[in-house]
Amino acid sequence: MTERHFDTELKCMKDGLMAMAIQVEEMIDLAIVVITKQSDAQAEQVVELDRIVDAQEVRLDCACIDLLGLRAPFATDLRFLAGCLKIIPQLERIGDHCKNIGRRGLILNRQAQVLNPDYFEKMGQAVCGMVCDSVEAFLKGDVDLANRVIKADDLVDELHHQIFGELLRQMIKDPLCIERASHLIIVNKDFERIADHATNICEEVLYILEGVNVKHPYLHQDPHD
Amino acid sequence: MSVLMIVTLVVFIGAKGLGYFWPQAIVQFETAQGPVMGEISDREPAHENEPERLQLRVANRDLYGQDFRWFQADEVKNPKLVADAVLVERLEYGAFIGWIRAVQEDGKVIAEGPGALPGVEQRLPKAHSLRSRIHAIEKGEVGDLNASLEGIRLDRRRLKSAPDEAKGKALDAKELDLKARYQQVSERLDELRKESQRVTVILETVDGQRKEQSIGSLIRVLPVNSMSTLSKLKVYMSRLWEFVAEDPRESNTEGGIFPAIFGTVMMVLMMSLVVVPCGVVAALYLREYAKDGWLVRATRVAVNNLAGVPSIVFGVFGLGFFVYTLGGSIDQIFYSDRLPTPTYGTGSIIWASLTLALLTVPVVIVSTEEALASVPRNQREASLAMGATKWQTLWKIVLPGAAPGILTGLILAMARGAGEVAPLMLTGVVKLAPSMPLDGTFPFLHLDRKFMHLGFHIYDVGFQSPNSEAAKPMVFMTALLLLAVVVLLNFAAINLRRRLRARMGGSTF
Amino acid sequence: MEIEDPRPIPEPVVLPPPKTEPAWDRAAVAEMELALRVRKLDLWYGAKQALFGIDLDVPKNTVMSLIGPSGCGKSTLLRSLNRMNDLIDGVRIQGQVLLGDQDLYDPKVDVIELRKRMGMVFQKSNPFPKSIYENVAYGLRIHGVKDTRVLDETVERSLVGAGLWDEVKDRLKDSALGLSGGQQQRLCIARALAVKPEVILMDEPCSALDPIATGRVEELIFELKKDFTIVIVTHNMQQAARVSDFTGFFWLGKLIEVGLTKQLFTNPTQRTTEDYITGRFG
Repeated sequence: MTERHFDTELKCMKDGLMAMAIQVEEMIDLAIVVITKQSDAQAEQVVELDRIVDAQEVRLDCACIDLLGLRAPFATDLRFLAGCLKIIPQLERIGDHCKNIGRRGLILNRQAQVLNPDYFEKMGQAVCGMVCDSVEAFLKGDVDLANRVIKADDLVDELHHQIFGELLRQMIKDPLCIERASHLIIVNKDFERIADHATNICEEVLYILEGVNVKHPYLHQDPHD
Repeated sequence: MSVLMIVTLVVFIGAKGLGYFWPQAIVQFETAQGPVMGEISDREPAHENEPERLQLRVANRDLYGQDFRWFQADEVKNPKLVADAVLVERLEYGAFIGWIRAVQEDGKVIAEGPGALPGVEQRLPKAHSLRSRIHAIEKGEVGDLNASLEGIRLDRRRLKSAPDEAKGKALDAKELDLKARYQQVSERLDELRKESQRVTVILETVDGQRKEQSIGSLIRVLPVNSMSTLSKLKVYMSRLWEFVAEDPRESNTEGGIFPAIFGTVMMVLMMSLVVVPCGVVAALYLREYAKDGWLVRATRVAVNNLAGVPSIVFGVFGLGFFVYTLGGSIDQIFYSDRLPTPTYGTGSIIWASLTLALLTVPVVIVSTEEALASVPRNQREASLAMGATKWQTLWKIVLPGAAPGILTGLILAMARGAGEVAPLMLTGVVKLAPSMPLDGTFPFLHLDRKFMHLGFHIYDVGFQSPNSEAAKPMVFMTALLLLAVVVLLNFAAINLRRRLRARMGGSTF
Repeated sequence: MEIEDPRPIPEPVVLPPPKTEPAWDRAAVAEMELALRVRKLDLWYGAKQALFGIDLDVPKNTVMSLIGPSGCGKSTLLRSLNRMNDLIDGVRIQGQVLLGDQDLYDPKVDVIELRKRMGMVFQKSNPFPKSIYENVAYGLRIHGVKDTRVLDETVERSLVGAGLWDEVKDRLKDSALGLSGGQQQRLCIARALAVKPEVILMDEPCSALDPIATGRVEELIFELKKDFTIVIVTHNMQQAARVSDFTGFFWLGKLIEVGLTKQLFTNPTQRTTEDYITGRFG
């Protein structure tokens, strides 16, 4: 097996993606703190970090297209770059959701807590874990881990329902908290979307690794198979 | 380098030979033995205690016994150009140098003194036409009659083995008729000859000897010293033409060498006709058909060795195999009635051509093989992939592609063949052939005839001639002509090759 | 009283089928008619085995490309398909090649007839040193066609088929060697078309051409697919990906993998194929 210069370029791509992922993971952590601890400083930091992630997205997109165009890769290389091209916006979307959470945090922080912060602590940790695992599955090429992440999405959905129910209950109990609760419903949704993006990342990882499309299993169809 | 060599060769030979036809001034000297007159043909500078020497072409071989004389430079005195001295070219005994004193007709003097020369010049054209008529009758009618008589003789011999009264009688009648006609023709000839001998010319040499000669035996009368350059040039051209287009005279030392040119060209063409198919077929077999094995290797070794065998060995082989064995067998089978006179059982142009073909076939084989190898493999494959058979591919693609290379081989073969003399001497060349291998008598192409050849002509004139001094310029001229013939044949082939290449190559860049 | 909705019910939008390749799946491929079948083909050059048990199906009216490193046997296989290997000494072949139902290596087969059914285009364009017309007419002439009208028609049809007609129709009598490289190669294709083969074998037909000429030949291959079955050997994987429906990967005389081109180039099943097409060796 010959050493290829292309391999170095792919490694760079991977490293860039990893850097972006770390940034995004940090944003999720911050978002959790914003919601649970009502901290303004963290909220502002999240909003600030999102700009960096956006910049990274643009840079990596560009690099990806360059490699596809110049190297005209086949097989794993092709799947890897195509996968990257699809993972990058997922990460960016995660960053956006974190930024949204941060913005809402700035509003909520000036008011009393509606919900026990433990709920979002739990939700946040679950979501953060999924994102971390999906990125690790991508970096290490771990099929099992990717599959586990896809399954873990169900847990997050469960938590999402739980929190949603709790918030509804609070609003019925005390109509005065409807405004705050509504914001929290959206925050809840943001966390749930982050988990979905993590799932999507894992699906791309599985495509990169195995060349099979596992999206939307109900379609039962693979154009190549 | 080779261009330089060729140019030097041609220039040298040309310089030696071409001057021969230029009319030289006639000089008269006084010597102790009396006056001499002639052309200065050579000069030896003083050498140690030898004084300078002059060679004088005094001509008049019939009177002096020799054409050339050497004098020491101090021996001859008072050189002077005699205005009315003439050089007379004659059919026999070489040239005459002296004066024309009188012209006679039937023993009566009709012109004399200063009027003699114009008188001769006036009557020469008529004499020439008379001579060519005699010549035509001798060659044509007499030749035909002789051939018919020979036929009758052969028929009669055939009859001996199977007697047949009626046929015998018919033959007798025919022979009588022929003989009568022969008689008529020879009478006519005699008349013409007498006619041509009616006018005679009285010639006188510088030392006073006189000679009477019939005007029919004169070719040109040249008052050299009083001729203008232009008329000299005319004489020069006419002599050159005579040299190229006429038959030789005086055991080849005078006259033309046309039969030799013709024989050379003919022989080379016949050789080409044989050598190309043989060489190409052999090369095709070796390269395209034969499986690589000891047979092929042996053949290649043989071909290469063949190229190195001295040509005289081929001559011996040609004599032994073609002439004696093959020719002898042909005579036994087809011409047994003529035996013991051989028909094909003696040297002839066909055997000479075959021998030379054998000599040159390795060249053709080798260059054809190269040419075949140079035809791109992918063209053959393209043809085969279209569903062509091997033979179709060879015939339509490979051979046309190889044609220029084959022609190169032919050019080399011709160059070698035209220059060979040794094997020809054994297989059919003669110093003077009575008739050419291609003429008007049925069947026109006579493969069994002997022929003349420029190379052999050089050898013969230069080394075997009784009068080699006189023939020296002839040697150079013949050599020049041989070169010209070879070059011409080569150019023809090269031109053909260039045309072929142009057709094949298109505008590949 | 019912109020009639004045708006017509919109017709469902039906898009025309995409003009690209039919998206065959395995099942569809299995049902396709096969033009060429190779069964357990072994080939030796002297003592050296060059092909090992090749099994290959080429469906009709498709393009099969053969890829692999130099000396892997792909050209050898191609040349076995029209028995051009017969011309090389010391070649021994075992197995079957079936063109339709006929085994090419049946001793009773007429090789000449067979080669008529298998056109071949070579790596280096190799027009004969004849006129353009004679190049195309060559195939017919060697098969004994003399009728000028038939020849004219065939020459025109073949040149049109090879997309060369408009460029050369005014100079059919000119030497073929005066054409450009790309034109020469298309002339060679026209020459192959003239004898109406069933299968056209192409041995790296674009390797000596510039990208423009290559593009034209590739377009031509795409067109020719309607009437012929094409097997093409190429070193250029992009080209294989562009022109072919199926791709076979050769390595060390073995057919490592064969399948739909799309599949093979995005997700090959064999590790060796993967390494080759991603350039990790070779």
